[in-house]
Amino acid sequence: MKVNRNIKTYFLLSTFSGMKFTFFKMLKNLFNKKKMITLNYPEEKYKYSSRFKGTHVLTVKKDGSLRCTACMLCATNCPAQCIKITADEHKDSSVEKYPISYEIDILRCVYCGFCEEACPVDAIRMGPEWQTPDKNGSKFNYDIRYLAYRPQLKGGVESSLDDKERHSWGI
Amino acid sequence: MSGKNEDLISCSVNGKTISVPKNTSAIKAFKIAEQDIAHYCYHPGLSVAGCCRLCMIEIEGNPRTQIACNTMVTEGMKINNQSKQIKEDVQWGLDFHLLNHPLDCPICDQAGECGLQDQYMKFGQYKPDMNQKKVKKAKVVSLGEKIVLDSERCILCSRCVRFTDEVSKTHELGIFNRGDKSEVGTFNGKELNNDYALNTVDICPVGALTSKDFRFKQRVWYLKKAEAICTGCSTGCSIYLDYNEEGFFRVRPKPNEDNNSYWMCDEGRDLYQHLNKEKRLVKVYPSKKVSTSNFAVSSSSSSSSSSSSSSSKKAIKYLKSELENIKDSTKIGVLVTGQYSVEDYKEFFSVLKEKNSINQIYHWFDQKNSKNDFDDLLIRGDKNPNTKGLLEVAKDMSLKVIDSSELKNTASNLEILIVLGPEYKKFFSTIDEKLEYFKQALQVFYFSSVKLDSLDSISNVTQIPLQSLVERGGTYINYKGLKQKLSILPQVIPKILSFSQIAKVLNGEKIQLEPLFLKTQPVKDNQFSFQKN
Ligand code: SF4
Ligand code: SF4
Ligand code: SF4
Ligand code: SF4
Ligand code: FES
Repeated sequence: MKVNRNIKTYFLLSTFSGMKFTFFKMLKNLFNKKKMITLNYPEEKYKYSSRFKGTHVLTVKKDGSLRCTACMLCATNCPAQCIKITADEHKDSSVEKYPISYEIDILRCVYCGFCEEACPVDAIRMGPEWQTPDKNGSKFNYDIRYLAYRPQLKGGVESSLDDKERHSWGI
Repeated sequence: MSGKNEDLISCSVNGKTISVPKNTSAIKAFKIAEQDIAHYCYHPGLSVAGCCRLCMIEIEGNPRTQIACNTMVTEGMKINNQSKQIKEDVQWGLDFHLLNHPLDCPICDQAGECGLQDQYMKFGQYKPDMNQKKVKKAKVVSLGEKIVLDSERCILCSRCVRFTDEVSKTHELGIFNRGDKSEVGTFNGKELNNDYALNTVDICPVGALTSKDFRFKQRVWYLKKAEAICTGCSTGCSIYLDYNEEGFFRVRPKPNEDNNSYWMCDEGRDLYQHLNKEKRLVKVYPSKKVSTSNFAVSSSSSSSSSSSSSSSKKAIKYLKSELENIKDSTKIGVLVTGQYSVEDYKEFFSVLKEKNSINQIYHWFDQKNSKNDFDDLLIRGDKNPNTKGLLEVAKDMSLKVIDSSELKNTASNLEILIVLGPEYKKFFSTIDEKLEYFKQALQVFYFSSVKLDSLDSISNVTQIPLQSLVERGGTYINYKGLKQKLSILPQVIPKILSFSQIAKVLNGEKIQLEPLFLKTQPVKDNQFSFQKN
């Protein structure tokens, strides 16, 4: 009984069996490249669905201003606590409250999408971009300028919910 | 009624039998029985209006449901609010309140502590039956310097109107127009600027009245509340301080029947600012006569300065050595305000008395207000929360109390003047006059938790930081002798000595400085441990 256990826990055996597996996989991949299941990233890229939940987008209103009302529900719901919003009083009293700063610490974000779910006004969405590597020391604290108006968004994504329309419906 | 207190009557609330004083309203009986009851217009500190129709109850023997706030309890009355009928009544009452209510919760400061939200979770219809457009009313109306009104959110409970009529007696507010056009507003040209105006923000059960100072600063669910007292005057109102890791954000009155009932004055609401980093004295400002190197020299004689020893420890050690050099105790002046707690005084005075045989203190009382000023509600002329405590401690220690105006004659004789300074410049309007005396003394050591800019220009003043009101804690005795103890909150600024530490340093004892900075809850150890099989 004791001997048996010792053989089972003798690491070298498992190591060799693991290496055997790797070696045969390698041979298989060398001669049958098509069946290989991994990609040669970054030369090859996987095409995700356009509904992929990647880097956040802050949507805008029809006039191009930020849709976010600074209600902080996303920040409250965020499990990584990586959203930081500073609210202020808007000059236009029909807007009333708006964010003067909106930051997502993207290195802490776990891409769960809870922020998107919490938002009552469709102001934050998870966009399709998923490649966001950058050099050491670059800015991973995404601010409004990046989240809402980065060049890739071509002037901003329009929110599906407009306050003016809502008011005209009488609600 | 044999064997029973004549003034008590018994009744049953939701099946729970309780005895209440005569002339108790049914809603109070619910509170006494600790049963939930929905309500908006009833407020224990105001008269009964009976206009929200939410506090519906059933009384046994009475076929119709009725409101609890305007029903008096009688002997043997059986009240309940658990039936299906009541639930339906409240549901419909609430639905009418919400007919014209805007979809503002995301931008409404009240969200999180809103009566409508709370009741909706219990009695909401969830399916709106209304197919008319909502009535639009004025939004973001400024009602003066402190308050913003949003008429759409108002549910016309009239608490605010009753407050200005009954408590502040300033009569600025009224409800105008009729039906669904009714709106709260001020009478022509008037502004809601009385000394107690912000109480209307507290009692407004919805987000119709919001405070300009607190507006949009924080969501209320991010805030923790701590109990404290207001140190703005000798009334010492019980308050809640709302704070989180980012600092202190607002002050609200804490109901206290013995003292401030449900209110506090608007001036006292600025208290939180003095606890935040921006206004605090964060480091020692040595006087221009002594360079910082002096501190180092004096401290080198005792223990070698460890890395945790702060400049304020050095400054106090320097003060200690300077005090030791003075043999004549009349050359040492101690000037105190009634801003500190009984414990602080005891600690500080006892070491000075023991070591330097001090037997008199100068009492700094703001001269502008007389001690007996009172506005018949809360605000008192004595702007110190603990004048009584100070005088009591001085008497216990048989210290002679001299009025600070005497300094005019004696300041020039003093070699050292130790000041426990006023914390709030707003209340000490005569600070700058006092500072003139300081110039005459040889050296001044000014202890304060708040930065006083006018001290920087006086060359013989060393400013030493103190912990703030809620970091020190302690007991305060108000104008009528009510003792209130403060809870102690985490430190905002690290390495500031407490009074007991200061006293220890002055006494020549060693102290251990803990690097405290917003103590958070200790993280629990990860209890999960992997086990094979
Ligand atoms: S995706 Fe999740 S973790 Fe990332 S910001 Fe949104 S809520 Fe936070
Ligand atoms: S993004 Fe949406 S949930 Fe987040 S603060 Fe703005 S409005 Fe609120
Ligand atoms: S008053 Fe209450 S229900 Fe109305 S918008 Fe404000 S938080 Fe929402
Ligand atoms: S403003 Fe607030 S307190 Fe005044 S009537 Fe309206 S809901 Fe009531
Ligand atoms: S609380 Fe009784 S009617 Fe409003």
